[in-house]
Amino acid sequence: MNPPTVKPRIHLARGLSIGYGESLASIESDGDGIVLEGGTHYLLARNGRGKTTLLKTLAGVLNPLEGDYSCEGRCQYLSEDLTFDRELPAKVIFEAFLKKGKCAEAFDLAQTLELDVKKPYGQLSTGNKRKVALLVADFSVQDRGHDVLLLDEPFTGLDTFSREVFQKRWNHNQDGVLRLVSCHPDFDSMEVNSSVLISDGKITHMAGDESTQCWGELKTHLN
Amino acid sequence: MQLYRLTLATMIQRKVWIIALFCALVLPIVLPYLTPYESNPSLLEPARAQAAWGCLWVVTIAWLFFQAARFGDDTARSGLGAYFLSSGVSGLSQMIQIWLACLSFLLPLVLIALVICFIGAMPSDSAQAQMWIATNLQYAALFLLVVTPLMMVAVSVGSRFGSTVGYLIPLCMSVYGMYGVGYLAMMTDAQSNLLLDWLYVVSPHYHLADLTPRLVFKHGSMLSSEFLQLVVYFAGIKMVLAMLSTLTFQPKAAT
Repeated sequence: MNPPTVKPRIHLARGLSIGYGESLASIESDGDGIVLEGGTHYLLARNGRGKTTLLKTLAGVLNPLEGDYSCEGRCQYLSEDLTFDRELPAKVIFEAFLKKGKCAEAFDLAQTLELDVKKPYGQLSTGNKRKVALLVADFSVQDRGHDVLLLDEPFTGLDTFSREVFQKRWNHNQDGVLRLVSCHPDFDSMEVNSSVLISDGKITHMAGDESTQCWGELKTHLN
Repeated sequence: MQLYRLTLATMIQRKVWIIALFCALVLPIVLPYLTPYESNPSLLEPARAQAAWGCLWVVTIAWLFFQAARFGDDTARSGLGAYFLSSGVSGLSQMIQIWLACLSFLLPLVLIALVICFIGAMPSDSAQAQMWIATNLQYAALFLLVVTPLMMVAVSVGSRFGSTVGYLIPLCMSVYGMYGVGYLAMMTDAQSNLLLDWLYVVSPHYHLADLTPRLVFKHGSMLSSEFLQLVVYFAGIKMVLAMLSTLTFQPKAAT
């Protein structure tokens, strides 16, 4: 018998307000608020507009100021400043976090990404440190599971080659996984099919036909 | 148990455990030869037991308490605490996993102390030998009842106030409980002061868990009733410290 299929889902209800003490951003859309389902969604905003705050709220690390939200699925929040002990090589980190089969797959992808898994974490470059965290999160995703990955600026320090490897992997591996990825619109050529924007204190969602396909154009929507 | 595995792997990777193992294994064998054992060879065996337990106390307080405090601090500051929190691992579970990893290093050290006492310092007389085994087992139980909650305090305080404070608090508590309470007793004997009397009563009497004099002077094991009283007393302290640690532990950095 096949296991029941549960789809990962994020629901930001109308009236949800996030921030520290005072509101940084809120949902003011008509109807039921914002609903995100499986696949990759990009969270875009200028500095200090509440990208990290929204991700922390969804992860349950921070309480919302007002309103409701739901995050259905096995959640993983990868903060921008997530680090591991400087003496641990990536190999040991993967072995601590991942099951055997997944660990072998992670080693393969690490090789493609030119990440030296035997080098102590403290000696890795910023980009390679990000790769370690991203690989841990991505290979922790369960097969036929319902996972929600909240990734805070995962592309910081990554070169274009590595970013494209991850995006390609995400495009191939969308079943049962919802990825909400915060980043700055600095990669003009990148295609975005679903984006959550925070601008002028409002959280909005653009998807499907109304979504601007090119990242470079999305910049114009942000304030 | 990902955090447990990660913490354990980190401790192994740091390699300080080699020094701890050396202290626990080699020093109890070497140090007794610094005594005037040539004039009295019977000194060697009790000195070996004293050194084994003494090294265990020092290694635990100096190394494991610091490791526990540092892991508490690192988990909160590195974003790992928030990561585990988001994936459904509660703060309590995180604290217990870090604590268990430290405990995984402590238990073999206790075992080493026991083995040294059983092999290197066992009395030849069978009645005395039985007493010796019982005293050492009682000592191990009381030692664990004292240091394990302090290790939890180190983890939790470290996560909230940083590794330095997280280390100093259990260190001060253990030194006070081992030696400070004795001075307090002398003061309460010399002058009647309600505050000092009250302080003496609520202080943790960790010196009661130190059975080294019993081993050195071969006083024999504790009576079962006396031992159980101490177990209940230290279990009570353990529960209080565990509750306070649970409240203090902070898996994510303050925002």
